[in-house]
Amino acid sequence: MTETCFRMKGTTLTSIVLEIIDFDPDVFESQLEAKVASAPQFFTRSSLIIHLQKTLSATEFELLIALCRRLQLQPMAVKGDVAELRPVINDLGLADISQSKTSDSDINTSTADAANQAEARQTGAKQAEVGKNTGNHNKTPSASQVNYSAPEVEATPVVPVLKPAKVIMRPVRSGQQVYAEGSDLVVTASVSEGAELLADGNIHVYGTLRGRALAGVKGNNNARVFCQSLDAELVSIAGQFIMHDTVKGECWKKPAQIYLEEDTLRIEALV
Amino acid sequence: MAKIIVVTSGKGGVGKTTSSAAISTGLALAGHKTVVIDFDVGLRNLDLIMGCERRVVYDFVNVINKEASLKQALIKDKRTSNLFILPASQTRDKDALTIEGVQAVLDELKESFDFIICDSPAGIEQGAQMALYFADEAIVVTNPEVSSVRDSDRILGILQSKSMRAEQGKAVKEHLLLTRYNPARVETAEMLSVADVEEILAIPLLGVIPESESVLKASNQGQPVILDEEANAGQAYTDAVKRLLGETVEHRFLDAEKKGFFKRLLGGK
Repeated sequence: MTETCFRMKGTTLTSIVLEIIDFDPDVFESQLEAKVASAPQFFTRSSLIIHLQKTLSATEFELLIALCRRLQLQPMAVKGDVAELRPVINDLGLADISQSKTSDSDINTSTADAANQAEARQTGAKQAEVGKNTGNHNKTPSASQVNYSAPEVEATPVVPVLKPAKVIMRPVRSGQQVYAEGSDLVVTASVSEGAELLADGNIHVYGTLRGRALAGVKGNNNARVFCQSLDAELVSIAGQFIMHDTVKGECWKKPAQIYLEEDTLRIEALV
Repeated sequence: MAKIIVVTSGKGGVGKTTSSAAISTGLALAGHKTVVIDFDVGLRNLDLIMGCERRVVYDFVNVINKEASLKQALIKDKRTSNLFILPASQTRDKDALTIEGVQAVLDELKESFDFIICDSPAGIEQGAQMALYFADEAIVVTNPEVSSVRDSDRILGILQSKSMRAEQGKAVKEHLLLTRYNPARVETAEMLSVADVEEILAIPLLGVIPESESVLKASNQGQPVILDEEANAGQAYTDAVKRLLGETVEHRFLDAEKKGFFKRLLGGK
């Protein structure tokens, strides 16, 4: 029997669109450098879509890409005014997406995406804050904590395409397994003994958690498990786990959250 | 339109067949044309509980295999009018049940019956899955002890994922039937309470059947316990059937009986 060696899947990813309004290499370099320096953690190694609103020559374009790469941004695709540049784009190993369907152009003004935008700003702010207080535990951003001013990134419309949380409205029964791939998992009922919840993000249980909950299964150390009543068989964050006996502490059968702090799982009451 | 109700539990020996016999008899007594099907192919029991073991000629598998007509295989109950039994085959195994075969039989039964009660075998394999696949409603029979509760939880999960209604994105209506309940032992914490079981399973309570000698006696006599009007268990099944038909009936037999002086002193029911 031959096994299939690949699978094709659709995916969405968050990227930054860099709109080129004007291009003077020196000015561009200094401005971009300043922008990256304002939130290095956020920008470093982030993927970039170049949107050419000005016609560039092949040389200019090559220089532009080189500058971006020097600042550790990762240009991956180009759109806009690319007509003359196709061979260069190809040579540089970039994708020409000028023909592709995109929907980002209106996002700044569309009210429907207001929430997304707010989230985008939060993400940016959160990242920046982490950058400043290195070593600090990454706190879940609440309105008061988020520092909007720092990278209220005037131009760069960071539009994360958020994968919606998987929401389960019924009890998760013994023997059932629920996996929220690439997102948070929300269960509005109880999770029975012998049931298993897995998520790449956080896990929220608005009922009694009697089964197993594994958050951040792909290694996200910041993932957390929240539950209304903690009675779990096993809780795991990014591979670190604790069993029933350890769980059975002071938060037993109470609202609690579990998170990872320097390789140790901590259980904390939710008041 | 006929309603298909599966009586299931996951665990064996909790009272599925006893409950199937009692509930189908109760529905027939209430004037609804009812058929009860034994899905426990190879371990046929329903015919004994219903007291018709000597009248089995053809069975469910014969009908599926078109070796007999439904009319030939259905056994009319002698005590209760409106009630028919479709017995299981004792010489085959669960693989004799196929989705298409079961569906054909159920479709034919739907034309002339109000209620089709499917008495599921124990376990979560083929037989149990066939019994619950076409169900509109499920009565989950549970004993007040941890292993039975966990198995019931498991079967509820299967109802929500492997039944036809689940595949169509619809829900199977679930009922909890707690059997062999002994209030005295609940008080001494030897047994889980109704509240404990309800909290874990989180489905509506159809009835609580007290542990009673009359159940064993009725089984051995081949007479559904619901016909024993003196017995607590019989009365509790009657209440459960009323609830199944949409009536609101208060739950009885939940507290230990206290005698005379103590009863008054403690204000027990």
